[in-house]
Amino acid sequence: MSSPQAAPRTGAPSGRRPVPPGLLFALPFLVLFAVFMLWPLGQGLWMSLTDTSLSAHSPGFVGVDNFTEALGDAAMWSSLGHTVWFTLISTVPLVLVALVLALLVHTGLPGQWVWRLAFFAPYLLPVGVVSLLWIWLYQPDLGLYNHLLHILGLEQVAWLSDESVAMWAIALTTLWWTVGFNFLLLLAALQSIPDHLYEAAAIDGAGAWRRLWSITLPQLARIGAVITVLQILASLKVFDQVYLMTKGGPNGSTRPVVEYIYDVGFTGYRLGYASAISYIFFALVLIASAVQYAALRRREK
Amino acid sequence: MTSTDLPLRTAPSRQSEVVVRELRPRQPGRRSRTNLTLGDSALARVLALAALVVMTVIWLLPMAWALLTAFKSETDASDPAHWFWPRHGFTFHGFSSVWQRGDLPLWMLNSLLVSAAVTVITVLVSAMAGYAFSRTRFTGRRALFALTVAAVLVPPQLMIVPWFRQMLTLHLVDTYAAVILPQTVAPVMVFILKKHFDSLPHELQEAARIDGAGHWRIFWSVLLPLSRPMLAAVSIFVFIGAWNNFLWPFVSTSDPALMTLPVGITSVKDAYGIQYAQTMASAVLAAVPLVVVFMFFQRHIVKSVATTGLGGQ
Amino acid sequence: MTGIPAPVGPPGLSRRRLLGTALTSGAALLGAAALSGCGSAQASDASTVRLWDLFSGADGGLLNDMVRAARPDMPGTRIERTVLEWGTPYYTKLAMASAGGRGPEVAVAHMSRLASYAPTGLLDPWDLDVLAEYGVGRDDFADAVWARTQYRGHTYAVPLDTHPFIVFFHPEPAAKAGLLTPDGVLDTEAFSSPDRFLAAGRELAKASGRQGIAFGYVTDTAQGWRLFYGLYRQTGGAFDLPAGGPAEVDVDRMAEVIAFMAKLVDGRVNPKRLDYPAAIAAFANRQTAMILSGEWELGTFRTADKNVSAAPFPTVFGTPAVYADSHSFVLPRHPDPDPEHRRRTHRAVAALLKAGQIWATAGHIPAYGPVTRTCAYARLQPQAHYAKAQDHVVLDPSVWFAGAGSDFQNAMSQVLQQALLDGLAPDRAARAMVQRLNTFLSKPSPA
Repeated sequence: MSSPQAAPRTGAPSGRRPVPPGLLFALPFLVLFAVFMLWPLGQGLWMSLTDTSLSAHSPGFVGVDNFTEALGDAAMWSSLGHTVWFTLISTVPLVLVALVLALLVHTGLPGQWVWRLAFFAPYLLPVGVVSLLWIWLYQPDLGLYNHLLHILGLEQVAWLSDESVAMWAIALTTLWWTVGFNFLLLLAALQSIPDHLYEAAAIDGAGAWRRLWSITLPQLARIGAVITVLQILASLKVFDQVYLMTKGGPNGSTRPVVEYIYDVGFTGYRLGYASAISYIFFALVLIASAVQYAALRRREK
Repeated sequence: MTSTDLPLRTAPSRQSEVVVRELRPRQPGRRSRTNLTLGDSALARVLALAALVVMTVIWLLPMAWALLTAFKSETDASDPAHWFWPRHGFTFHGFSSVWQRGDLPLWMLNSLLVSAAVTVITVLVSAMAGYAFSRTRFTGRRALFALTVAAVLVPPQLMIVPWFRQMLTLHLVDTYAAVILPQTVAPVMVFILKKHFDSLPHELQEAARIDGAGHWRIFWSVLLPLSRPMLAAVSIFVFIGAWNNFLWPFVSTSDPALMTLPVGITSVKDAYGIQYAQTMASAVLAAVPLVVVFMFFQRHIVKSVATTGLGGQ
Repeated sequence: MTGIPAPVGPPGLSRRRLLGTALTSGAALLGAAALSGCGSAQASDASTVRLWDLFSGADGGLLNDMVRAARPDMPGTRIERTVLEWGTPYYTKLAMASAGGRGPEVAVAHMSRLASYAPTGLLDPWDLDVLAEYGVGRDDFADAVWARTQYRGHTYAVPLDTHPFIVFFHPEPAAKAGLLTPDGVLDTEAFSSPDRFLAAGRELAKASGRQGIAFGYVTDTAQGWRLFYGLYRQTGGAFDLPAGGPAEVDVDRMAEVIAFMAKLVDGRVNPKRLDYPAAIAAFANRQTAMILSGEWELGTFRTADKNVSAAPFPTVFGTPAVYADSHSFVLPRHPDPDPEHRRRTHRAVAALLKAGQIWATAGHIPAYGPVTRTCAYARLQPQAHYAKAQDHVVLDPSVWFAGAGSDFQNAMSQVLQQALLDGLAPDRAARAMVQRLNTFLSKPSPA
């Protein structure tokens, strides 16, 4: 790493304007930014116009062929569909369950340390651990959940090998794993609601339910919206737990678009085509962000 | 999805003025939090407590099940007739055989090394850039900062293909540098730290300048010491993110000797086939470091998430 | 606005300081070490040959035994195995590591995948002269197998084994049904046409008192294709896949084979809807007298019936052909290989081939001729019964998208399942397969 103190001596021979110190401070970041963000972004865009492959052969320019192929690629569209579907069925519970947990813990009932540990600890587990654990929980013959279902007298479920169940099973795992994050954010927001609001309401004779509906929830509205937006953007990028638990199966029914990019690029060697799909998805993420941003702005006005 | 990069890469909406305060201890002498939220009804308390206990049990059950399995023998672990309580008692065999195979400690070390390097580089580089954008003037500053903020929108998931291609060009595939360097570009941290430096009083800087201090002294000896809580929060956050990051380490390393924990335990198989007790033992061992750290530093980590988690909004 | 508490707090809590200091100092050291010594961790010492493979379970244990047995033949060399997850993830990792140029010294790959590796420049060719020095030459391998190791005049694979798709049977019901020759070998004449094959199934069902022939294919990603392609090649029909397409195949003969397969699993004398594990269980528990399966299941079956016997897949459609694949050793690309290390790798592989007798106990046919020509091998029953399968093996078509664990096999198997399970007419199934084939062919080859 360059030392900003030493740099001016070497960097400014007499006669030229010295490099402004501010730029020197920003320089380490700017260098990393240029090398590992701008360069790859540019190279990705270039690759998307070529037939670059993982193999040794030299790439040729193909124009927008990759993009036209992608737009007609049923597998890409279905993987995009899976991503959107996952986003829907994971975001709703991830926000709502987090809210319920935060409200419960916010009551200040004894055992705060335990509650926080229980709900937040899964978030600290590496995804590798989470998927090994849940594959084992979902194991059809030996797993905990099918045994519990059996005790309750219910049908066994082929959690990860039934096409109609697998995505729900992954969403459930995701809920368990990451709800603690939203939970903590909401809890922090709850605890910043000034006590005097409650006290005033109590004096006015508002009961506990009333206070929840007319003070707590309205006070949470804004941060709740922000958390929802963050959650949507996070869910759109799903890859890890799906890849590790089902490899996108059964029959490709859970494969999200990021896994499709991985499959096309690295399993199928087609780095150029994978870049094109990356950019298409990037465009969709940008549109989603813009829509959400606009919606947030409107709410606030 | 690397869940932890969720807040690192999101559009900042500067409009929302959410105030996230440090989680405070209850103030004595006033109506308790419980009274304020639940009222005085005993029934409400019982119901809320019951709900909490049920949710906690549901949330702890998977981990308890993993622990139970990890302490079983392989025969008991794969015996559907005695799925709950092992017939032959508990054993450390799963743990000892996993540990002796030797790759798990190696992957832990790799994870520690990678996460620590990512944290140190990211925090130092971002703090310097935050300082530059907040406290100095130079041509192009606004444009560069705007570019940085815009880059928050770029999801790292979409960078894997170009990054891998770049690492091929640089001959860095299967090296620590390949795992570490792309993770150190964190525009959102620059943004957070810039806003943080904005919030510090300017008088300090002026006073130091009158004393003849240069930018480096002001940054290193005046502002950074004042920013310790913030730096701790950001560091913890970056560290957790790097520790749990999967996709890029997975793509950039194929050599098992270089794999991080989440990649190694899921990619490398045992030559002797599926062994559930050992799998769970390795999962438990892999889970232990951060969970233990959390138990000791719960308040710091909670605060770190609360302050950094929204991406500085 | 950030909700950061006023930063002018009390000077560092002790724990906070501890955390901060520990993190910073420790990490700085580690980080510096990491960045300066890039790649140092994998610069294994010169005496180690790193081997990647996909064998776990019984095969994995046997390979460990082979490594031990091979030691005297490779003094001073240590083989360090890495077992990765079977299937697509393995081949993806292998390709990425090869592209990066820091891959293992040697890796196991299915021969059927070679067409997607050799032309891409991701593999280095073997040096036949060096192999010959250690006693391994072209003549030690069956022609049908060796032909597949070649690409543009270079040898890119050294075969370890052939693992054909064969038939297993329980000797008693087979004898009772009159399907064995006097010396206890399966009478292949009795299976030499579709009708005879089906009739033999009926006899087996009668003799066993339960059902005849098991074949597990439901939701399997390869089984349907394995049976189909072996049978189709027996018809002598063309199966040419020119780059860009369209496929040149004989749709009528394909339909004929599919019709036969559908009759085979119609549920009258043979079980109808078996998935892979269910078929294994059905045969092992003697619910059926015969099973169509890969030889790699020998260990499982022998545990259930120590007299279990086997034969090469019978010639049903006239031309002898047995579907198979072959595990082989390949050299992932290294831009500047150290010649000494390469030589060491060649020697280690030669040593492993010579320990092939151990590998044969798993059921695989060792590819290295000197092993299968020994008396010790001839005494291995039932392995010796089906060793002849090697002479007529057909592997997957030699195109970049085919091979073990490929999307292609899965796609073909899915169509076949529709025909076998859901009643899709054979001719329509054949056309659907051709359509899928053409889709694969229309994609650009990565090479």
